[in-house]
Amino acid sequence: MSKENKIDTVFNRLRTENKTAFIPFISIGDPDIETSLEIAKTLIKNGADMIELGFPFSDPMADGKVIQRSYERALKNKVSMEDAFSFVKKLKAYRDIPVILFTYYNPVFILGERFAKGAQSAGIDGILVVDLPPEESGELTKYIQGKNIYQIYLLAPTTGNERIKQVLSHAKGFVYYVSVTGVTGVRKSLPETIKSKVKEIKEISSIPVGVGFGISSKEQAKDIGKCADAVIIGSKIIQFIEDNINDKPTIIQRIAEFSSGIKSNL
Amino acid sequence: MKLPNKKGHFGEYGGRYISETLMPAVIELEEFYKKIRSDKKFIKEFNYYLKNYVGRPSPLYFAKRLSDIYKSDIYLKREDLNHTGAHKINNTIGQALLAVKMGKKRIIAETGAGQHGVATATVCALFDLECEVFMGKKDIERQKQNVFRMELLGAKVNPVESGSQTLKDAMNEALRDWITNIKTTYYMIGTVAGPHPYPLIVRDFQSVIGKEVLKQLKKLPDILIACVGGGSNAIGLFYPFLKYDKVKMYGVEAGGCGIETGMHAASISGGTPGVLHGNKTYLLQDEFGRIVNAHSIAAGLDYPGIGPEHSYFADKKRIIFDSVTDEEAVSAFQKLCRLEGIIPALESSHAIAYLEKIKKEIKGKTVVINLSGRGDKDMHTISEYLSSNTDAKLSKL
Repeated sequence: MSKENKIDTVFNRLRTENKTAFIPFISIGDPDIETSLEIAKTLIKNGADMIELGFPFSDPMADGKVIQRSYERALKNKVSMEDAFSFVKKLKAYRDIPVILFTYYNPVFILGERFAKGAQSAGIDGILVVDLPPEESGELTKYIQGKNIYQIYLLAPTTGNERIKQVLSHAKGFVYYVSVTGVTGVRKSLPETIKSKVKEIKEISSIPVGVGFGISSKEQAKDIGKCADAVIIGSKIIQFIEDNINDKPTIIQRIAEFSSGIKSNL
Repeated sequence: MKLPNKKGHFGEYGGRYISETLMPAVIELEEFYKKIRSDKKFIKEFNYYLKNYVGRPSPLYFAKRLSDIYKSDIYLKREDLNHTGAHKINNTIGQALLAVKMGKKRIIAETGAGQHGVATATVCALFDLECEVFMGKKDIERQKQNVFRMELLGAKVNPVESGSQTLKDAMNEALRDWITNIKTTYYMIGTVAGPHPYPLIVRDFQSVIGKEVLKQLKKLPDILIACVGGGSNAIGLFYPFLKYDKVKMYGVEAGGCGIETGMHAASISGGTPGVLHGNKTYLLQDEFGRIVNAHSIAAGLDYPGIGPEHSYFADKKRIIFDSVTDEEAVSAFQKLCRLEGIIPALESSHAIAYLEKIKKEIKGKTVVINLSGRGDKDMHTISEYLSSNTDAKLSKL
């Protein structure tokens, strides 16, 4: 099987166009499954090159308040992994852009092999497990082997040069650089170190670098886009849901405007 | 075989399931600890504070009246007599010394009942460290006195309003703070859980309990009993005895309203393996791998997980895990008050309650129970429980 992973396809295309990928993040099931599917389609229609879908977890230790509350809303809708798979199928039927499932390890671990099979048949292209460093990835690597699913790894401002090399030796698709020392959430200003760190990563590997955590404005996206291959935005988009929780048309409208605004700056 | 192995695994349990931001800090801690662990000066300093500040060795008390009832020799390891009233201080003294040596000035900790929070606030005062404790909003309401104690000691107590507003959420919030302030901050975990090397560090500092028992008893006991939430007092007692095959060990989990009701905190008796708070271990979770809320009358046992080393020895059947209910614990609490003049913590009362479950087995045997803490903090809970459960009002002696 030599089918190319769609994540590679998109990065290769954007590279020739000299463009940066826009990867929005939303949680599956927030505010409800149907609306979150609408939101995902809206993002795709308005410039998303790939999409990151968060699987709601009871104990999101790496997430700030906005995503915590998003997961809490989604958990009330009792979203199962099966629901997540069928969500991805529907989204892929709408448009087949790369889908990255963002999750904590426990919901994946308890399903084991069944997770990998389900993810494959749903068409998931990448999986990002926020609490699964390469050292503990053995089980998951075994499960997804031969299934054309990439495990996306993270690098952080605290990651030293030796460790960057070590993580990159496992990386496929792209590597996710966490721009701030902290949890997810909107930041007014981003650290100056992002550019030098991205440069450091790029000197070691030719793998695309996506930057996320804290990015919320066109200006920030444009600036990060100068050095990164992808800009990842989550909390800012989810804030539109929270602020207009009883007004779905407004949620869709605000997210559409925001999304196309970001994309036009990349 | 040495446990944990180099990667921090106890068989399939343990490990380091944490976000990348934390990995370098945890590796740094591991390397630092590896060096200092056998450093004579460090051990001497640790022992100095255990003796002069904590008041160790704690007595191994022969409980005569209790022994008469069960026709066995029952000894209580009196961790309740430690400074701050529980075994928790053994660990916080050790970790505070470690943090100081690492040059960290700010300490964070999670707490459930507030015992680890108080022990942390205490050592932070002692070693002049800035201290912030994360505590679930619900626990703050249940344990007002401990909140006040922490504040008196100079700590800042941060209420956690997310999730179930109890210990697990306090740990989530402490981890979030650590991710954010990793460069300046030392995370002082209170039990034998979390990412490697924490289960090892906390076990090392707590195993003073078992080491003292070995010296004090002057022979091997037949049976050891300890209550288990995260499992630090249990591993502290058990660890030095693991190599003696004939010593039987019972870990008593919090059965709450009964395992069958789902309202309990017994991760091994009523849970399945999973991954939470940096380690793989037995957890209380639903079919989708989401963590479910624990319940116990003892706030210090009210946690949906357990240390990975316990999970390992549970599978191996080296430590036998069982549970007692809230009701059984309260009854044992009263029994110890009346028989021995000792008011135990509700947590430790679970271990006392287990005597009743194995009364046939213990006849003629030597039993050591870890009396991990004292019950002063539980007065309010107990009086509320007794006034709402008229059946339990009369202690059955």
